[in-house]
Amino acid sequence: MSDKPDTTHPTEEAPRVPVRIEEFFAALAMALICCITFANVLVRYFTDVSFAFTEEFSIFLMVVLTFFGAAAAFARNSHIRMTFVTDRLPVKLARLLEYVVLALGALMFATMAWYGTFLFWDDWQFDTTSPGIGIAQWIYTIWLPLLSAVIFLRIVGRLIRFSRQVADRRAS
Amino acid sequence: MIAEGSLILFAGFALLLLIGAPLAIALGITGTAVILIEGLGIMAVPTNAYNGIAKYPLLALPVFVLAGMMFERAGVALRIVRFASAIVGKRRGGQGVVAILVCLFLGGISGSGPADAAAVAMVMIPAMFKQGYPKAFSATLIAAAGSTAILIPPSIALIVYSVLVPAASVPALFAGGMLPGMLAGLALIVPTLYLSRKNGWGNASDEETPRLWDSFKEAVWGLLAPVVILGGMRTGMFTPTEAAVVAAFYGLFVGVFVYRTLDLRKVYQVLVESAEISAVVLIIISLAGVFAHAGSTLGAFDAFAKLLLGFTGNEALMLVMITVMLLIAGMLLDAVSIFLVFLPILVPIMLTYGWDPVWFGVLITMNMAIGQFTPPMAVNLMVTTRIAGVSMESTVRWALWMVVAMLLAMTLVMVFPQLVLWLPRLLGY
Repeated sequence: MSDKPDTTHPTEEAPRVPVRIEEFFAALAMALICCITFANVLVRYFTDVSFAFTEEFSIFLMVVLTFFGAAAAFARNSHIRMTFVTDRLPVKLARLLEYVVLALGALMFATMAWYGTFLFWDDWQFDTTSPGIGIAQWIYTIWLPLLSAVIFLRIVGRLIRFSRQVADRRAS
Repeated sequence: MIAEGSLILFAGFALLLLIGAPLAIALGITGTAVILIEGLGIMAVPTNAYNGIAKYPLLALPVFVLAGMMFERAGVALRIVRFASAIVGKRRGGQGVVAILVCLFLGGISGSGPADAAAVAMVMIPAMFKQGYPKAFSATLIAAAGSTAILIPPSIALIVYSVLVPAASVPALFAGGMLPGMLAGLALIVPTLYLSRKNGWGNASDEETPRLWDSFKEAVWGLLAPVVILGGMRTGMFTPTEAAVVAAFYGLFVGVFVYRTLDLRKVYQVLVESAEISAVVLIIISLAGVFAHAGSTLGAFDAFAKLLLGFTGNEALMLVMITVMLLIAGMLLDAVSIFLVFLPILVPIMLTYGWDPVWFGVLITMNMAIGQFTPPMAVNLMVTTRIAGVSMESTVRWALWMVVAMLLAMTLVMVFPQLVLWLPRLLGY
């Protein structure tokens, strides 16, 4: 298991839609989490007032950070995976397995996007309000299907780039 | 139904992991498959994926990653190395001891082993090479000492453990990890000094030792960081998340105004990289929520635990079995992933024997730490050997020394739970 992106596919082209977009939003979420929490500490220290109910919003920001960051990591193939076995397989078999793995990833996030939509729809229809701040819950839940769809597209994008790279190798 | 579902769950997961699926996908897909096949209600998939990470204690994870990276980029490691060299001075094995001390100290700022090891390796390996230490040895030593970062607070692994085992609070775990972390690090000093003496490493340098006072003035900002983090939590002023945020802002302040090593572009880069590293871990936790839901609804984890308990009724033997299992797993996977996969099975065993959750958490984290530098698949060694430019094989003869030293330290913790429990009790957690 390695924390670094694997180097067995060095010739893969960069994604056409820049990953910088997801990077930006993930960084923004991180910065907002810090600022909200820090403001909370300062306000509590100086005024005895606590706005700890903003925790709910920070947690939501963490979910956003996770999905944007994960999308960028899928585009770059930097997720934690065990390549100990596949590195030692014949190239053809390893390629086939890479297709299977990418397809499974796409399937996972397609499932999340599809059923996540129902989750959102429930909150929308029944006007669920959030337990902390008391705003409409769907403002939070709508992001689950949306961001799952983003990850789905990133995985499909890598699937296309991977197949192109395989075709190029065959041609040359 | 339990047997069939459990088989799909565990065998499917193992198979997907073997064919190189990202850990998050392997957990999510097998969880979803079992939920579908056993008719547990498909809406559990998005619900558990969301609820798996929407937890307040988990918020400390990304922020501690950020704080650790902020200090690293600000150049704290380099200054601490200089200060530690000034204290230890020039003697046989001196630089080796410096490397261990610096790793222990940085473990008190950052919460993950590979990051800690990388920061120290970058600075120390060339310096140690000049004094006659072989690169393979330095790489091994730093990988081993860096692994204590997951024991010494703040620790990402212990935060995740606390989320999975709420009976053990984050402050209690942090306090509990302190002594075993130090013990593990200090245990490394023995083989380091012995090997240095035997091979005559460490006094062939004409480099000047940095002046004590000057290096202290430079390093003091970094030295204060753990005081900010742990002190704030100790006085009850901050929650762990808040302590992490304060530490991140402190790192920002030191980097921008004191050392002047950080500018806007670098700060943005730190935000991006720490967000992505956190996201890679958090998405695993999210989809492990789906896996855990499938497994616990089926009773698969309890069944597996019963199976293990059926092997032996002997408490000590069970503990040794768990240790061996986790050591092997620790060579293949990182600590957080292992917790997510194994804890649902281990917790029922822990409850059966009435083990203290804080002690057990620290003990298995120590296990993970050892796995992080045991060849051939060690995460930390991969990082340090890459920096040193040596092969993984060349480290084996040194790694064995370090593994044995830390195993002895772990045995002490296993036999004397007070080593873990004394400090949290003293502090009243």
